[in-house]
Amino acid sequence: MKIKTIPKYTVYLLLVLAASIPLFFDIKMPNKPVDSSAATFKSLMTLEKGDTVLLGTDWTGSTRGESKAELIAILRILMRKEVKFAMWSSADAQSPRCAQDVITEVNAMMKKEGSREYKQWEDWVQAGFYPNSDVAINNVGQDVKKMFSPKRGTDSTGKLRSVMESPVLEKIQKIEDFKLVIDVTASKTSDFHVQFISSHKVPMIFAVTGVMVPETDVYYNSGQIAGFLGGLKGVYDVEVMMDKGLNVPDKDGKIEVASTKVTDQIAGFPGKDNTGSGSKYYPTLHFALALMIVLVVIGNVEMAMARKGAKNS
Amino acid sequence: MKVNEINFWTKVPFSKDLWMMVILTILVGALIVFGLSKAPSQARRPIIWILTFLSGAFFVLYQYWPKAINFDKNTQLPNGGIEKVADFLNDSNSIVGTIAQVLAAFMLGLGIFSILKIHGTRIAKRQRDWAFSVVLIVSLLLMVFLGYGDFHIREATKTIDFDNPEKWGAINMGRDFLFEGLLQQMDAAMFSIIAFFILSAAYRAFRARSVEATILLGTALLVIFSLMGGIAYLWDTKFIDEHFAKPGVTHDLIQNLKLAEISKWIRGTFQTPAITGIKFGIGLGTLSMAVRIWLGLEKGGK
Repeated sequence: MKIKTIPKYTVYLLLVLAASIPLFFDIKMPNKPVDSSAATFKSLMTLEKGDTVLLGTDWTGSTRGESKAELIAILRILMRKEVKFAMWSSADAQSPRCAQDVITEVNAMMKKEGSREYKQWEDWVQAGFYPNSDVAINNVGQDVKKMFSPKRGTDSTGKLRSVMESPVLEKIQKIEDFKLVIDVTASKTSDFHVQFISSHKVPMIFAVTGVMVPETDVYYNSGQIAGFLGGLKGVYDVEVMMDKGLNVPDKDGKIEVASTKVTDQIAGFPGKDNTGSGSKYYPTLHFALALMIVLVVIGNVEMAMARKGAKNS
Repeated sequence: MKVNEINFWTKVPFSKDLWMMVILTILVGALIVFGLSKAPSQARRPIIWILTFLSGAFFVLYQYWPKAINFDKNTQLPNGGIEKVADFLNDSNSIVGTIAQVLAAFMLGLGIFSILKIHGTRIAKRQRDWAFSVVLIVSLLLMVFLGYGDFHIREATKTIDFDNPEKWGAINMGRDFLFEGLLQQMDAAMFSIIAFFILSAAYRAFRARSVEATILLGTALLVIFSLMGGIAYLWDTKFIDEHFAKPGVTHDLIQNLKLAEISKWIRGTFQTPAITGIKFGIGLGTLSMAVRIWLGLEKGGK
């Protein structure tokens, strides 16, 4: 039984077209946020001015399409709400630099929209890179003060001091003192966070890549994490909620973005530029998935026809 | 340093005790390394096993040794042997953690040493593709040089706003070009190639050849549809809500036919328990392997 197939280079060309053409158009895709994204949005939006969060970032260029977009969305919310954050990494040595470059990028966005610029030491600190991920996350869970004390940062007078003395971490004695623990990751650090931090009474959210969604769902369903953003869909969800709010009725009383799991009415940041990589690339994902479905259908039709032909002959 | 911060692992800065500990640690460390390098391989194994056992024993003890409830180290002293051991383990945890970090950092160093050795030999002997080895080593050295240079400039001159690329010098630009302009882009490009393979594989292999394959195909398509906002909107809102759902009723039987609900059901009923089971299996396997390594039962462990 010989099956006629589309040459692989034609398949590749079709993917290039499906992934590139939507980028030239401003396509607004309808969207309903998944429960985990709505719960993440709620966790972020309930933070208050002056709160401190622990922000783990463990991703590099290979997953920047998803991880960078997630970090940008999270940082936009933290900066607009004037929440302080301590950033740290424990997997890939490139990750601190990647994250710091994103902070620079988001700071430029904030400046453009007229918001206050975030300053290192006063508003955020770099709490370091630790090459042994599981031990580092365990130690942060056990004694965050001892863990981060040796890390130094330059204060506003130019003096090198322990990051624990910074305005960001001066009130932090233990992991429970953080209002939220966030992990933007493309690796196993999310597992280690659950192993070593979820037993402490501190809410935790993850931002993971699309392929990590099934395994992260386990922790969300069990209640070990408060929510998570999964891949590009998660980014688009949060960007839409930032723009239109969650369960917020419009002037006709119609709720455009609703969630059955999170029933609170949460206003986003209407009137501000909330678009990012999620809004930009979600149509692309859409067309690529549509192409995959069409090709799978064609493949099955080809197989059925070949079977029929074999039977007839 | 506060009095309550002084323990077995810490000494008063610049004190005689501290210098003694530093010298003793260097001497013992040098002796161990020298001893290991000179010892025959038969003798090395028990030493490595003893070190592995001691390292593992610390974490086992730390996790399972009873801890005093509501013990405040700032105002109280440990009472009795059990509390003293618990206090010692507690003080040691961050130190052992730091040792683990240093060892992991050594692995990075070991990797760099290995690269330099292998590619240095290839260049020296003009072996096949030696020119690529030159590119690799030059890139490595350039990245180290420009990376440290950029870090040093940013830390030393805090008054300059380095978020503004107009304020960058040659070193900052070089670092940005190598890291952001080349490494990150190549990393992303490499990863994006997977999309072509996935699509090609889905077209060639995702076929309803049997009942099981048809069920898998149908399930996958439903989950993919649920991720596509446009399709989900047309089906859930335009079709189900507008034609079948009763106004204002959110818990109707017909609601179960929505793509979002079907996907949630597939993920909650099949996917989560399956992955939980796999994770339990991996956990048990990891535990048994850890115990074998810890007790030296694994080949090469003693």
